[in-house]
Order: sequence, then C-alpha cells, then structure tokens
Amino acid sequence: MKRIDLIKNPLSKDNPITVQVLGICSCLAVTAQLKPAVVMALSVTVVVALSNLIISLMRNTIPPRIRIIVQLVVVSTLVILVNQILMAFVYDVSKQLSVYVGLIITNCIVMGRLEAFAMSHGPVDSLLDGIGNGLGYGIILVILGFVRELFGRGTLWGYPIFEKLGLYNIGYENNGFIIMAPMALILVGIIIWIQRRNCEKS
Amino acid sequence: MKSFSNKYMLLYALGLAAVVAVLLTLVATSLKPRQQKNQDAEKKQMILKTIGIETSREEAAELFEKNVRIPQKSNGEDDYYLFNGGVIIPLKGNGLWGPIGGYLALDSSFTVVGAVFTHESETPGLGAEIATDKFAQRFVGKQMASQPIVVRKNADHNSINEVDAISGSTMTCNGVSAMMTAAFEHYSHLRKEVNK
Repeated sequence: MKRIDLIKNPLSKDNPITVQVLGICSCLAVTAQLKPAVVMALSVTVVVALSNLIISLMRNTIPPRIRIIVQLVVVSTLVILVNQILMAFVYDVSKQLSVYVGLIITNCIVMGRLEAFAMSHGPVDSLLDGIGNGLGYGIILVILGFVRELFGRGTLWGYPIFEKLGLYNIGYENNGFIIMAPMALILVGIIIWIQRRNCEKS
Repeated sequence: MKSFSNKYMLLYALGLAAVVAVLLTLVATSLKPRQQKNQDAEKKQMILKTIGIETSREEAAELFEKNVRIPQKSNGEDDYYLFNGGVIIPLKGNGLWGPIGGYLALDSSFTVVGAVFTHESETPGLGAEIATDKFAQRFVGKQMASQPIVVRKNADHNSINEVDAISGSTMTCNGVSAMMTAAFEHYSHLRKEVNK
C-alpha cells in the first residue's frame, strides 16, 4: 500500500465512522454545534496519531495477552499529560478541551486503530494511519455539526445566520429534534447511504 | 505471534505502571502551582463578571481587590463576597455528568444583577451551554427574595423567578434549579444583613 493511501483511504472508502463504524458514541455527543465538533476532531487526530506512533514503537515488546491494557494505559497517559500541560500553559484551550478528555480516552477509533494497525505496522506508517483516521472522523463530525447547528439552532459557529437572513419573520422555526442524539444517528445513516451508493457506482 | 513468559508479562505490566505513575506524578506536581494560579485568577474573573466587570485573567486579581470585599465573618474558603450594592453568592451543585457551579450577584432587594455558570463535564452543545452568557443573561432581573429561581421549559417570562431551560439539557437545567434552591436556603441569613 502506498503511504499516501494511509491518509487518503480513511477520508472516504475506509472512513472510521461510516465504514468501520467506530466512534459513533462521541460523534452523537459532540455534534450539536460546529465548534465543539471541530475541537473534538482536532484532539482525536492528535491523540490517535501519537498513540499509534508510541504503540507501534513498543509493539514487539508487548505481551499479546495484556496488549489491550497496555494500549489503554498509553492512551490515557497521553491524554492526561496533554491536558495537564494545556492547563498550565494555555488555560483557555484546556477549558475548551476538558469535557472531551474522557471522550477521547474511550473513543473506539483510538483503540481500534491501535489494535488493527499500529500493533502490526512500523512507526511512520502508523503515524500516517493515525492522522488519516483522525481526519476521516473529523470530516463526518464537521458535516454533522454543520447540519445540526444550522437547522437545530439557526446558527453557525455561534453566529445567528438564520436570524440575519430574516427566516424567522417568514415563519421558519428551529427544529429541536435535530439537536437530540437520535437525529445525529439518522444523519450518519444518510451519509452512509450516500457513500455506499457512490462506491457502488464507481 | 511471539510467546512471552508469565514472569515477563508481570514485570512488563509492573514496569509500565511504574513508569506511567512516575511520569504523571512528576508532571502533575511540577505544573500544579501554575494551574492553581490560573484557576484562582479565573475564579476572580468570574466573580467580577457577575457585577459587570469584564477583565482578562492577568488583571483580575487587581480589580478584585478594588471592587469586591470578603466579609470578616466569612469562614469557609468559598463563602459569599460583598460588592458595592449587594452580595455575591457561590453556587454549587450537580449536573448530568459532574459538578456544576457558578456565582450570583444580588442587589439589596435580592434581585439578580449578574450570573455566571461553570461546569466540569456537561455535554458540549447541550448541557455545557449553561456556561454561555446567553444563558446567564436570562437570570438578570429575576428575584431570590421570597423563593428560589426555577429553570424550566416554557417558563413564564414575566414571572420573577422562572427562567427558560435549554432544549436537550433537562438534567443539567434541573441541576441549576437544585443549586438555586440550595443557595436560597443556605444564604437566607444574608437577606437581613444586606437589607441593613
């Protein structure tokens, strides 16, 4: 496999959410608005890339029977470490991130990529795979965040776009259902549908 | 797949745990003073915000000295504060996933002049919205004199103690209501004091 594919594939035909169906839980939780979706996407990308790299370096020394625990320890250490450093030096960023820390550690994508890729590939490939999967996860998050914030709240990145367009004056009302988790799941379903259709065609 | 002896496995686990423990402890203790400083400054920043003073974290300490007094009788670390014209009470409670808190500035008739809310781990975009100015603004003008403020859906906007909840965050908003009730009872003695 070419190295560029390691980054390119997870964006579409091997997307962690729509094809591997990993990380659904957090993608329902943080996409009610665009901003948290972007913050979460960036933090997961950093964590998947770094933990993939570290586990890949350690892979030959890890006893198979305790590998999951070892992976978990590495991931949580990394996340706590990053959060502690942010808290001391860039407090505002850490405030933004604090709620995601728990979500990142338990994100299935992180463990999934460690188990499926980093345990059997070299450090450079693993790093690229981590970045690719983080971004693939991010794309879906941003799409969901965009749709849900726009139609659920009438805002984008907190900016009241529908209000400025005057849509409320002609009888438009925000759709509260889009803010709820079930709607996120339905939207993910629609994205999977569109994606499968495109794959079949090509 | 390579096979490893039990002894190796045990030592590996112990070794990893030791390395991680030392690393985390070192980082946590060495960064503690800096983090504490940030948190203290943020607390002062929030208290100032309830009385309408927006400031940066760096300038918060100085402005706090000028505008806010800590009463003599105050015993606890996080008890109430006095400002020119009223009292600022801390709020503490539980949201859906973890602790929530905040500060409420009340004038002499126990009408809210400003509010600030914080949370540790509420859901972003839903419960976490209590920390926004938009939500805090809804409390301004409401009264804590005869009954606590209630956060509920379809709140009556003309009521003196009802505030509109956030859709999708019922549990967090119930937590805010509970926090108000607790503060109302705990600081009932202040109503007399402020009126003096």
